[in-house]
Amino acid sequence: MKFLAFCQASLLFAISAIAAENPSPSPAGTPAVEARPSAAPKEHLATELKGGSVLRVNSTNQSYDFFRPWSKKAPSNRRGLGAVIDGGEVLVTAELVWDSNFIELEKPDTGERATAKVAVVDYETNLALLKPNNPDFLKELQPLDTSVAPKVGDHLSVVQLESNGTPVSTEALLTSAEVGHYVLDDYSYLLFKMSCPLQYRDNSFTLPIVQDHHLISMLLRYDPRSQTIEAISTPVIQHFLKEADHQPYQGFPSFGLSFSTTRDPQFRHYEKLSDSEGGIYVDDVEPDSPAAQADIQTGDILLSIGGKSVDPDGDYDDSQYGRLSITHFITTLSYTGQKVPVTLLRHGERKDVVVSLFHKPPQDYAIDPYVIGRPPRYLILGGLVFEELSRQYLREWGPSWQREAPQRFVYFDHYQADLFPKERKIVFLSQILPNNDTIGYPQLNYMAVERVNGQPIYRLEDLAKAMEKPINGFHKIEFDLDPKVMYLDAAKVQENAAALQKTYSLPAMRRF
Amino acid sequence: MIRSTFFGIACLVATNAVAGAVADTPKFDVHKSIVRITTTAQEPDYRVPWNPGSISTGIGAGFVIDGNRILTNAHVVSNGRFISVQRENDPRQYSGQVKFIAHDCDLAIVTVSDPNFFKTMHPLNFGPLPTIQSVVDVYGYPIGGERLSVTQGIVSRIDFESYSHSGADSHLAVQIDAAINPGNSGGPVLQNGKVVGIAFQGYSGDVAQNVGFMIPTPVIQRFLADIESGHYNRYVDLSIVPESLTNAAARQALGLPDDDTGVLVSSVESDACAAGKLEPGDVLLSIDGHRIISDQTVELDGENVDLAEVIERKLKGDKVKIDLLRNHQPLSVEVELEPNNSYLIQANIFDEYPRFVTFGGLVFQPLSRNLLEAFQIEDLRVRYFYNNFINEEIFKDHPQVILLSNILPDPVNAYLSEFRYQIVEQINGHKIRTLADVANAFDETSDFYTIKFVGASRPAVLQRSAVEEAKERIKDNYGVRLERNLGEETLR
Repeated sequence: MKFLAFCQASLLFAISAIAAENPSPSPAGTPAVEARPSAAPKEHLATELKGGSVLRVNSTNQSYDFFRPWSKKAPSNRRGLGAVIDGGEVLVTAELVWDSNFIELEKPDTGERATAKVAVVDYETNLALLKPNNPDFLKELQPLDTSVAPKVGDHLSVVQLESNGTPVSTEALLTSAEVGHYVLDDYSYLLFKMSCPLQYRDNSFTLPIVQDHHLISMLLRYDPRSQTIEAISTPVIQHFLKEADHQPYQGFPSFGLSFSTTRDPQFRHYEKLSDSEGGIYVDDVEPDSPAAQADIQTGDILLSIGGKSVDPDGDYDDSQYGRLSITHFITTLSYTGQKVPVTLLRHGERKDVVVSLFHKPPQDYAIDPYVIGRPPRYLILGGLVFEELSRQYLREWGPSWQREAPQRFVYFDHYQADLFPKERKIVFLSQILPNNDTIGYPQLNYMAVERVNGQPIYRLEDLAKAMEKPINGFHKIEFDLDPKVMYLDAAKVQENAAALQKTYSLPAMRRF
Repeated sequence: MIRSTFFGIACLVATNAVAGAVADTPKFDVHKSIVRITTTAQEPDYRVPWNPGSISTGIGAGFVIDGNRILTNAHVVSNGRFISVQRENDPRQYSGQVKFIAHDCDLAIVTVSDPNFFKTMHPLNFGPLPTIQSVVDVYGYPIGGERLSVTQGIVSRIDFESYSHSGADSHLAVQIDAAINPGNSGGPVLQNGKVVGIAFQGYSGDVAQNVGFMIPTPVIQRFLADIESGHYNRYVDLSIVPESLTNAAARQALGLPDDDTGVLVSSVESDACAAGKLEPGDVLLSIDGHRIISDQTVELDGENVDLAEVIERKLKGDKVKIDLLRNHQPLSVEVELEPNNSYLIQANIFDEYPRFVTFGGLVFQPLSRNLLEAFQIEDLRVRYFYNNFINEEIFKDHPQVILLSNILPDPVNAYLSEFRYQIVEQINGHKIRTLADVANAFDETSDFYTIKFVGASRPAVLQRSAVEEAKERIKDNYGVRLERNLGEETLR
């Protein structure tokens, strides 16, 4: 168990590091099991935490099986540490409590336990707040302050617990702060990198990182080979906690655009950009995004955002951390609901626009970037299993899903903004449960549905509706790939539904 | 032949499975029919397309047929720069020339100009498709040896197989349990003194043992008939995707009787010969008078074979008559058959120098199987264009998919590395459909050259002055022998 928690963390490191820079992962950084530091780590009793600001958090998680969307996978346990903060809540990483069925808090000194539930969760920044079901449980504990952000070069303490409950802290040097990949693909925020010789201990899936009495950071992953920590940065935690004060929780905002750098002098001459000006080139603007609503267009050169001038690499001068990607300013230093002024160049003319920020939830994408904490949707018709395409489904192919998963779907996912500009989902045939209605059909899968009974299918609800109107007693299902048409006898499908459900022990024939 | 991809040298396994079985072969001297072919080949390097390529030598077999011709495998003589032919028991080596080569069915005709060569040679005749379980003799030069080797095998299976030489074709092939090894390629497989096949591929030892494949006579005869026109025209193809009609509901929905007849047309390639004649949704009932069975087979010579076999035996310009139902109405159409071109993007290219255009250190090349393998390109869009070239009709906008395949680093292109493996859409506003379009666009005089890639908004920009300044520098640094090859430089 001890090692497992750590292996998992370092494995995640390998995966994510690749996903961030290379769409085709190759095995790198295999988790080293016995990566004991050669020099004795600078450890000491974490006396500053004696009042009990850190709790053990045990979570039993059970995620859905996207290949069999009617059932869940085997449950697994994750054990980490949480930080007690103001308001009777415990801060942990969201990953610790992904798809959790049962959460237990444990006081390290007394071993007293209490059940808890997730009060607020943000999978994109990987943060969650837990609330004990008994509000008195945290009464005696000293909450950690979260108002102080460290500087690069500061010495921080990573908190762990001995098996007897004694807090131990290991010194970590904050070596850099830069925007980087967190846990989910495509979600990047300010990341702290630290160097730290960390030992294996129980409950280490995530660990709080403190400076004096201030909670600074939560550990995302540890690479035992290079002895480096990647951790959630203070500004992200501060933003999360501030946002969590309002209900409903609105999430971190984004502009909804992608940009290129403008460093290339030949490109600058072509665009008639002066050498003194910075600016980034707008590649694509998502429809209906904050940027689109502010009339930012492809080809615009963004010169300044929120009063911060943007250099040709897309960086601005941050008062705390120096040169940082402007995305940090937009997603983390700004909040949903805020209006951000933007100065841009369009066809050589200066233009000022105001972007009203909001967060785009995963459900609003054609292909959900993640489906966590909610079950996958499906519909079974005559043994044909239909689902809506999501990256969670593709991730079922494992760490190298980008290579292993059906390439057509990986392509759909990667280029979804270009391919599916209007609001819709991709309904697809995930498998066929063979039965009398499908005799004679080959084993088909991974084909997107275009029409059913003549009706275009943009989501599972459309399919349910189209099913009600068979053509001359037959369901006609049209796909994007060969075989482009399949027929089912509507009356027989209905007649055989109960038997099919029984044969394959399906709890339900659909879930929306 | 060492380049035969299915072969590993390690797969030398003695074939004793047929010990005791003796083929009913009349006595005749097969040594007077078989030749040993040594080919010195030059394989182009798609990563350095201006280089002439690496030189390798391989050995295969061949045999004499009527008309003073030698029949062998295409892969024995592909990319050949020099071919030498030897007879058994003759110390002399004769220079051979490739007369016809068919990469889609891995067959070639080689001739020897020395008139004395064929004088003592004995041409072999062809026999029929052998029956399952019958015994055949396999001749050749496995693992290279100087002397002719013979082994025996049993015909195990007759079916459509993928032909590994082109990598994109499937034809009828006969599986035998004799070990077929590198060097056997091109050798005759005999039964009753007649050629029933040509040994051409096998598996490496770690995949399967005692499995060898030969090209059967229907494929050979078709090749010989095709070249009678003086030119090899390739296989013809209807270029449609048929689907079985074996599901009861599908048959009822289409109003078909329960008689196991007919297949449904799922797709018709819009630039191929059946376009305008056949339509998606048509139910094909018979082909050249043969009833089409609902699982996509027809009965030919008393056996159920794939529907495609009817087309396989035809030549370019031949017609095929198809009876069908369209919207429940019977209809009869005649299609003049043509070779399919779009699938060639997925077929190995031989006997030509790689095509490319360089400009400012940027190398542009058309997407091909060779290119994809040379660079091991993993780019999602490139792979998508390659795999869906036909079914997504990518050929309509991109008859050639032009990639920025490589960047020879130089100050002129210092900021362009992110564009590598992108697909070119426009140059200076000109739509890029072929490599020639790229060359023409760069030949125009312009202060700036803007290259727009598929799916990317920001163009790559090259300033003419910078390109001109870099030209000689890049040429010298990287040894760029040739700035472009648009296909003028071919081998045959």
